[in-house]
Order: sequence, then structure tokens, then C-alpha cells
Amino acid sequence: MSNRLCWFRSGDTVSALALPILPNDVIADWDSLRKTMLRKRPPDFERDEWAYLVTFLDREHLESVFHSEFGDLIQTPGMGAFRLLRPRGLVGIWLPNNVSLLGPLALIILTLTGCQLWLKSGSEATNLARIFLDFAREHLRAGPLKHYLDTMVAVETLDRDDARLKEMAVRCNVRIVFGSDAAAEAIHGLAPPHRGVAFSFLDRQSEAWLDLRAFDEGVMETLAKVFVIYGQAGCTSPRRVVVINGTIADATEIRRRLLEAWPRLFPKASPMHFASTSVMTRQWAATGGWDAALTPGHNAVLAVGPYDLAPIPSPMMLSFSPATLAKAVSGLPSNIQTIGYAAPHGIMMDEWLPALSATAAKRLVPLGQMHHFGPVWDGQPYWRQCFEEMEVAG
Amino acid sequence: MSELSALLGKSPYEERDDRLFLGEMNRVTLHHLKGCPEYARVWEGWRNAESVADLPFLHAGLFKRMLFKTVSAGIEHGRFLQSSSTSGSQPSQVLLDRRSSEWQSQSSTAILKDFLSIASCPLLVMDNPKNLRQRHLSARTAAALALRPLATDMRFVLNASDSIRWDIVDEAARSADSLLVCGFTWAFWTTWVTELARTAPADVRARLASKHIAFVHSGGWKKLAALQVDRKAFDSALLETSGPGSQVLDFYGLVEQNGVVYPLCDFDFRHVPVWADVLVRDPFTLTPLVGEVGQLQLLNPLPLGAPYHSVLTEDLGRIEPGACSCGRSGTRFEVLGRIPKAELRGCANV
Repeated sequence: MSNRLCWFRSGDTVSALALPILPNDVIADWDSLRKTMLRKRPPDFERDEWAYLVTFLDREHLESVFHSEFGDLIQTPGMGAFRLLRPRGLVGIWLPNNVSLLGPLALIILTLTGCQLWLKSGSEATNLARIFLDFAREHLRAGPLKHYLDTMVAVETLDRDDARLKEMAVRCNVRIVFGSDAAAEAIHGLAPPHRGVAFSFLDRQSEAWLDLRAFDEGVMETLAKVFVIYGQAGCTSPRRVVVINGTIADATEIRRRLLEAWPRLFPKASPMHFASTSVMTRQWAATGGWDAALTPGHNAVLAVGPYDLAPIPSPMMLSFSPATLAKAVSGLPSNIQTIGYAAPHGIMMDEWLPALSATAAKRLVPLGQMHHFGPVWDGQPYWRQCFEEMEVAG
Repeated sequence: MSELSALLGKSPYEERDDRLFLGEMNRVTLHHLKGCPEYARVWEGWRNAESVADLPFLHAGLFKRMLFKTVSAGIEHGRFLQSSSTSGSQPSQVLLDRRSSEWQSQSSTAILKDFLSIASCPLLVMDNPKNLRQRHLSARTAAALALRPLATDMRFVLNASDSIRWDIVDEAARSADSLLVCGFTWAFWTTWVTELARTAPADVRARLASKHIAFVHSGGWKKLAALQVDRKAFDSALLETSGPGSQVLDFYGLVEQNGVVYPLCDFDFRHVPVWADVLVRDPFTLTPLVGEVGQLQLLNPLPLGAPYHSVLTEDLGRIEPGACSCGRSGTRFEVLGRIPKAELRGCANV
């Protein structure tokens, strides 16, 4: 299949993308799938997960990926030098067991690169990437995207001992590994990436930071929703809420309001296992000095305590602690990924951002965007690196 | 401790004295609140319970995450007891103490004796003797020790690679008409049932086939269910290897309730001895249930060295109202397996 050129300009930089399918065609086809998705949902996807996927496939959102990396779409390049970017080739994506929406999200965003995709998931996983791919293949209209998914994308379940893992490592020009440090080390150890590029998205954790001046019902609901979808199991989920310059009484009041709103926000019963784990977690937290409370229906534990209390690594526990900005910055975990904020714009820009600029944090986003997946992840421009660049002098 | 002695002095399944039991549970709860700060933090402000359902409990999962210890005059802590953790999860641990161990031994012996139709005889333990010498005591070794008072002698029959030493089995079989054999359910299947036909000498097989054997086992059924082996098939397979009048006794117990075991009666129920109690709770509200399926809570006032006297388990069960045809009094219940596992999707290590 020969590539077609598509032109972008960002400032003085002109880029020509040589793609097997034009971005507009891929995006239009994804957008068309959304209508079906509003009517049908594979049972393995939670309602919130599916809703997020529908939003992710929005035409403007997908267009913004190109825009953020290459600038505005233009019709004619004009004179002068430019760069030509072509798909780097085969992209391998290693997904861990029981991974969240990252699988389908990575699949969608990487279809925009025109690269051939090979996704590997763990044998124990509910393979959401495969389920979504099957859904898209079944429901997409005949067209460029369906053809691309049928011929250029493979999702496989491979055990850690499967010989094809090495083949995958050798053949892929781009390696994208989601998982633990040990898993990434094992995969990259299979074959050194001589010709291509490699990205490792390792174990990370995230926090929510609140300034009381920005706290209202909407913030409270958003906080609850971004937490509940994955609990502490999500690398972009808040493991703790830090009330910047607040007090224990402030944290307790936020928790009280959240507990009060809980039955309205989450009326559905959680699995029995979560209820039992929550009872255990409340007690575990109490042994460690947390003022811990079960939510109605026992689907989570909301705990208040001083910032220095040892965290409780239990899936459905969200802790609330006050801290000064300096303390919150110095107390960030070394593997911090996202800080979701609710703060007045001025405070965020003038105080929080400068303080966080020297930390390892990878994202500083409004609370509601904590789980948003984009072309830069963990601070690494993996999407852009799926293209190889050719200099062209005019 | 005279009240406790009064409880333990009873026959396990005679008429209950609920007031006496509740009094003992209140007393032991206060003892742990005073001596174990972590426990006290979980149940801050607690006062005497008016009913068993009001008694504080610890969730069984906590014993996988921390080692509780109650410090008090006269308590001598010893080894800790550790669960087998066969499903690959973190094992549970409880700290043993001398006085409680004596009561726990007295308790489990009395319970098992009530169910066993066998006179004192050699005890064969499906375990390796090296487990006795470890810093911690395994659940299966503890179960074997509970049967020790009912036996003339005790022999461990597994070698280092977990195969049966048929020479040891034969030596015991030559010395008596009856045998007590105890071990994990899965171990019985993979060693006794599977190996007997394959590796035991013919004369040993023949000798066992003439013996009155009581097989006492405990443990999960998940792996056996995967092999399509149900309780009936399991019992038949064991009884085929032994002589007339032999018996298979399945008991339920947790390391977090060491000393109180719940054998299955002939009518497929488990019975609560007078020095223990069982509740079933709704997992979403913790409301006590009768006749409905919920989370099992097990209680007994025996442990002094750590607060494992009231434990909310991760098992499902159901209390059956009414009297049992087996004649044992008190609460009877069924164990219906573990709470079904549900995992949160995610990418972080929790």
C-alpha cells in the first residue's frame, strides 16, 4: 500500500505525514463507530469505561492528537524545507494482566500512526483490547479503518514463556511496554532494540491535590468518580487526596460530604469481594492510626489522617490528609505519575506549578482528566516516536 | 479463667449457656483491648456487648497483613501458626501462647473425639516431620497435633518430596487394627489415593484394606473440583483403600480460629461447640443473617496471646435453623466456599 501525504504546519515547521490512510478518514470512521457504541456495550466493559471510550473517539479529540504534535492541517506546503514523517513499521505493545482501559486506548491512538500494530496481553487478563478490536471489526462500516484493523492489527494472548515474545521483541521497530519494572526488564532483555525505539511505562501512582477555595460539589463528585473507576489499582487514580494548606478538620469535612453523597453517586452494589475487602481495609487503616470510614454499601474506605501516616495499599482506600505545599511536594512518591488538581488558576500557575516543576511528576491536570490518555505518556513522546523522520530540502 | 474452664469442661454439643459464652467473650475482648494497641484502635470506644452479634471482630484478611500480639501478665508467647496459603496468596499468621494452646488442644480434641468412631490407635500424619521443627507451625501440623491425644503414637509419613513412605504406613498398620490418618484434602488425593495403587507394595495395600481407618482431612476443594472430584467420589476413593467401618471426616477450620474445628456431621452440617459461636453477616451491611447466605464470622474465647477470638472470614456460609438429625444441639451451618474473587482492573501495583 503506498502512502498518501498529509501536511501540517506549526509555526515555521512544516511536516508531511506519509500515511497509508489519511487522518481524516481514520478519524471519521472511529467517529462513526461511536453511534453504535452508544447502543451496544460488550459486557466486559464497565459502563464508565465504555463511556470514556466513546468520549475518547470524539472527532475533535482525535484531531487534537495530530494538532498537538504537528500543528494545523494545511492544504499546500508552500516553498522551503520540511520534514517527512513516515510510520516506523511494526509497533509492539505489551500489556500486563488485568490492565485497565490502557489497552483499547493505546490501540485507538496508535491506529492514527498508520503503523502495523501487535498487541500482547497477559494470559490471565480480561483482554479489553481484543474485545474492543473485535467489536470495532464487527461494527465498523467497510472502509479504510476497518481494512486497516483487519490487516494491520493483531492482538494476542501470550504466556510469559511463549517463544513468540522474543520474536515480537526482535521484529518490532517500536516497543511499548506497560507493566512492572521486572516485566519491562524481561521484555527488553529478550533482544536489544538495535533498530528501533523502546518505551517502558512502569508502575506509577497518582495523587489529587485540593485547594479549599476551589472545592465544591462538582469537584467532590469528580474526585469520587476518578477514584472509584480503578481505586488504587489505576496508575492515574488518586491514592490520596492532599488538602493543601488545610487542616484535619477540613479533610474530615470533605470526607463527611463525600460519604453523604456516596449512595447518590454510586447506587449500584459492588461485588461482594470488594465489600469484604473494604471491611478489612477499614480495620487495617484503623490499626495504623487512620480515622477510616466505610462508604455505604462497603465499596470503599475513606480515611482521614495526618500526612505522615503510613499509606494503606489496599485497592479501594482513598485517604485525605492536609499538608503545606512544601510538604506535599517533598512527600511525593518517587514514582509519581499524575497530580490531579482542583485549585484556583492563579494558585495553580503561580504556586503549585513552579513547586512541582523540579519533581518527577509527569502530569498536572484537572481532577476530571486524571485518567486521560494521550500521545505523551509518563513524560515520553511515544506516539511521535512511531514516526521516522526524513529531512527534505526545498 | 474459671468460667472458661466451665465452658471447656462441658461436652462440646450439649445444651448451650449463651450467657456464660457471651460473658467469656466480653471478658476476652476487654483483655485484648487492654493488651493490643492495634486492636484497640480498630474498636475504639467499644463497651461490653449485649449480644454475640455486637461483639467486635477482626477481618481474616488482616492476619495476612500483620501479626497481632496481646501483651499481658502471665501470657507467654511462643511460635506462630501459619496457614498453608495454597492459592498463592499471602499466608495468615497468628501468634500462639502457652495457656491458650493448652485450651485449644483440649477443645479440638474434644470436638474431633465426638465425631470419630475409633478407639485409640496410631496416628499417621500426611506431612513431613521437618515441619514440626520450624519457627512457625503450619496449619496441617496443628491439625495433626489436635488428634495426638486420641492416638497411641504419631508418625509423619511424607518424605522431602511429599511422597508417602509406605514403610512407615506399613509399620503402623502391622501394629494395630485401626489407624487415624490426617492431612490436607488435596494431599490425600495426590498421595494416598493416587500413590497407593501406583507405588505401594501389594502386601501393604492388602493390609490397609483390612484396617479400620479414620481419614481426617481439611482444606479447599477448588483443585479437586477442577479434576471433577466431588466429596462423594473423594470419600469413596479413600474408603476403597481401607477396611469395613472406616470413616472419612472433613473438618473446617482456620488458623485464625485455632482450636475450634467444625467437622461435617452425617447430615452434612457443621456444628458449633458450646465454647464457640458462628454468625453469618450480610457483606454489604454486616447485618446478621439466619437462613441466608453471607460471610461467616467465627468466635471463641480461647486465644489470649492475640485477638483472633472473633474473626470475620472470607468464606460464605449459611446457618440452618432447627435441630439436626445427628442429635448435636446448638447452631448448625454450611460452608459454601470462598467469597468469589473480583479484581479491579488497573496498571498499578497495589
